[in-house]
Amino acid sequence: MTDRQKHIRNFSIIAHIDHGKSTLADRILEKTRTVETRDMEEQLLDNMDLERERGITIKARAVRLSYKAKNGEEYIYNLIDTPGHVDFGYEVSRSLKACEGALLVVDATQGVEAQTLANAYLAIDNDLEILPVINKIDLASADIVGARREIEDIIGIPAEDCPAVSAKNGINIEDVLEKIATDIPAPKGDIQNPLKALIFDSHYDSYLGVVVYIRVFDGMIRAGDRIRLMAQGSEFEVVEVGTMEPFGLKKADMLSAGEVGYITASIKTVGDTRVGDTVTLANNPASEPLDGFRDVHPMVYSGIYPADGARYGDLRDALEKLQLNDASLVFEPETSVALGFGFRCGFLGLLHMEIIEERLEREFNLDLITTAPSVIYKVDLRSGETIMIDNPSKFPTADEIQTAYEPIMKSTIITPTDYVGGIMDLCQERRGVFIDMKYIDTERVELHYELPLNEIIYDFFDALKSRTKGYASLDYELKGYKPSKLVKLDFMLNGDVVDALSFIVFEDRAYSRARKIAEKLKENIPRQLFEIPIQACIGSKIIARETVKAMRKDVLAKCYGGDITRKKKLLEKQKEGKKKMRKLGSVEVTPEAFMAVLRLDDGN
Amino acid sequence: MATDALGLYVHIPFCVRKCNYCDFCSFGLSQVDWRERYIDKLCEEILSYREKRIKLDSIFFGGGTPSLLTSAEFEKICSSIKESLVVSGDVEFTVEANPKTLSREKLLVFKASGVNRLSIGLQSTHENELKILGRIHNFEDFLESYQLARECGIENINVDLMYGIPEQTMESFGITLDRILDLSPQHISLYGLILEEGTPFYEMRDRLSLPGEDSECDMYYLATDRLSKRGYTHYEISNYSQPGKECRHNLKYWRSEEYIGVGLAAYSYYDGKRFSNGYDINVYLQNHCTNYHREYSDSDEAFEYVMLRLRLAEGFSLSDYRSRFGTDFLEGRGDLINSFVKAGYMCIKDDKISLTERGFYVSNSILTELI
Repeated sequence: MTDRQKHIRNFSIIAHIDHGKSTLADRILEKTRTVETRDMEEQLLDNMDLERERGITIKARAVRLSYKAKNGEEYIYNLIDTPGHVDFGYEVSRSLKACEGALLVVDATQGVEAQTLANAYLAIDNDLEILPVINKIDLASADIVGARREIEDIIGIPAEDCPAVSAKNGINIEDVLEKIATDIPAPKGDIQNPLKALIFDSHYDSYLGVVVYIRVFDGMIRAGDRIRLMAQGSEFEVVEVGTMEPFGLKKADMLSAGEVGYITASIKTVGDTRVGDTVTLANNPASEPLDGFRDVHPMVYSGIYPADGARYGDLRDALEKLQLNDASLVFEPETSVALGFGFRCGFLGLLHMEIIEERLEREFNLDLITTAPSVIYKVDLRSGETIMIDNPSKFPTADEIQTAYEPIMKSTIITPTDYVGGIMDLCQERRGVFIDMKYIDTERVELHYELPLNEIIYDFFDALKSRTKGYASLDYELKGYKPSKLVKLDFMLNGDVVDALSFIVFEDRAYSRARKIAEKLKENIPRQLFEIPIQACIGSKIIARETVKAMRKDVLAKCYGGDITRKKKLLEKQKEGKKKMRKLGSVEVTPEAFMAVLRLDDGN
Repeated sequence: MATDALGLYVHIPFCVRKCNYCDFCSFGLSQVDWRERYIDKLCEEILSYREKRIKLDSIFFGGGTPSLLTSAEFEKICSSIKESLVVSGDVEFTVEANPKTLSREKLLVFKASGVNRLSIGLQSTHENELKILGRIHNFEDFLESYQLARECGIENINVDLMYGIPEQTMESFGITLDRILDLSPQHISLYGLILEEGTPFYEMRDRLSLPGEDSECDMYYLATDRLSKRGYTHYEISNYSQPGKECRHNLKYWRSEEYIGVGLAAYSYYDGKRFSNGYDINVYLQNHCTNYHREYSDSDEAFEYVMLRLRLAEGFSLSDYRSRFGTDFLEGRGDLINSFVKAGYMCIKDDKISLTERGFYVSNSILTELI
């Protein structure tokens, strides 16, 4: 091991959401004095507005810091940030793989929570040295002793001398920095071996092309090298290598075993580089790649349409731009009779979907109509063929289906004991299969369930929150596909099926969902000149029905003193308003009404 | 009744105080320090038509509250009219009145000046409803004025009523109707309350206990039913009359016939053009008699014709439409109109097309489809 290597520390910060991960990162940056405090923006690592607003980190980023320890020696700290949400579990695992250690931040007022645990397990799986850090000790309700005990009892790692800090007030940050030098091992790896580097993130830069973030395990890499991405099988020539400093990228001569840095190689889209892939040299390749590469697939699909049909092209451009930096976003054109031209988009999960929708609306100024999110179903047809279904419109008719399957998630819920009953009821309503229940301590319980993803995306988070006053936390991963009685539910207005409203649902659930949506349609469709029958059906069988009564009043009583301009203006405005309407069959509704129908806010 | 005679509208833009729902161009008396100048300007404007030899067969004093005019002011305006325009012998001459502002003396002056029709703004016979609306009178005041007008020889009287008033119920509205029907006025105008921006009602809209769309409809249909049983014809969306007592002046608006409007905010349709004097009192007062400030509006005659004519129960004649605009009204609208006929919103009889009672009440939506 080179002397340089001995002084490198690669680590991540992991935590449950809101436990103070980003604030701790800020303090570490501050204390290592690599940036002047006054110049530093709050939460430097989160460099997307949206992340800052939501207080979560969406995309991993890394930064290189230097620290002079009490033993007088100078260390290089590579802090690799991780996304904090269940949708990005795979990206988290790759970021962790690039490290030797992890700071596990636990809120002294909240203790260990579902994502604390999930992230700790991920770190343990990656053989990381875990360094617990108890945060928020400045709060009156902080329970440091309790937090230490939970870390030891639940996660099973020693915590009696772990740092207790207030990241917000900058208390005891020095302890954390020292611990990193003393407790986290230096990276192993041999500079003489063939190059092996892990891609843990990438982003698109309009000048440099794709900037690929790597952790070098063996060998070295420099500009001019011809590299091969082992899983992709593609080759590129390295244009530049360097490190991520707090103020930006800094060119370097080379990156060698143990180091974290970036490369550019005239790569055009982030889709050409896969997180988890191994970079090696084309003329002296490693014999095998680093393990754990996985292609991530979208789990949730939804149709996205511009509210104004004329902006279809703008929507396509916007999606393409977002995809430059987000390889997990997929989309393809789709046409709906009701909504016109749009895209079927695939996301890692609900949060990912919300983030994309929000960015489209905010950064690209688009008004969107989105259809209800759908998971991917698998169907064995009587013909012997198996198909995957990401769009309700592709769902086969009942007589074509041999067996239908839906995705099942292995789910962990951590909750105060008071709410166990309510959660069990909820999981049962949502067709959950109980696996087991563990007492974390006298006050908290860890519940394991197998839950259909299609139930999770139907408002599960909100229902969980409302039943536990926000105290329960949820984490899940795909377990596999399970046979299920699935049907497609269609809605007819005035006898015409409105394709954009169709969705796939568990058969026993169809009646209540049909009634609910029919009622919402009734509430949201404005009365028109004619009565509008609303019918929900499975195949040709009608299972719910409502009626929007005909409008009774729409009149201007008076044309006063010969002033006809007012009435003319009123009619012209009314006519103009009609142009914005969407035709659902023969019925006109505003985009707002359409979205209101699809909003899943019933809580049950 | 096509004639070459026009209507004259005279706007009196002040009242004792403005009602809570009113967004017409009018000022409370306490704000008015230009009353005399206004009357002068008004007369000047009337006289500016002198050279045209215009014949009138209807005159309508609206407001505001024209019955607030003093006898002297009223006579002054009337003499300008007689000096400038040719008033037909059978003219319909209407003055709008607020019950609290009439006296025997004033009514006799009106009568002597040729007024033969009085339009009294009552709105409701119930104390609580009148109070909410911000009216300055009560039902007793109205009855007094009404009797007085009859005694003074005004034979043609309209009563303005309103439905959709906060706190109004089917029952209270029914009582209002019955009390008025007992008097047998020649004409009843019935307006639905609309919350207009800029009015006190609009500001307090969340606190008003309005009857709601369904009750309003029920009131409207109740009125139509009860009035027709008592021999009134529902000849326009908001107007009912005894046979032959339709308001000639207002019919001119709905039949796209020409009229002259004088005074602040008055609208004219004259010489094929629509224009108004604008709403700015200062601008109006500075007008020079040879160069009036006027705001012209685009005229889309076919649009206006359909919009206005369909307010009338008589509707319009398809051949008249063809001869005016050179196209067939049914062309390109056949299916739509058929669906309206089938749904009972419209009716086509021989050459005539019109809205039905049901159609009247959703006329905006129907017009939006037709034009």
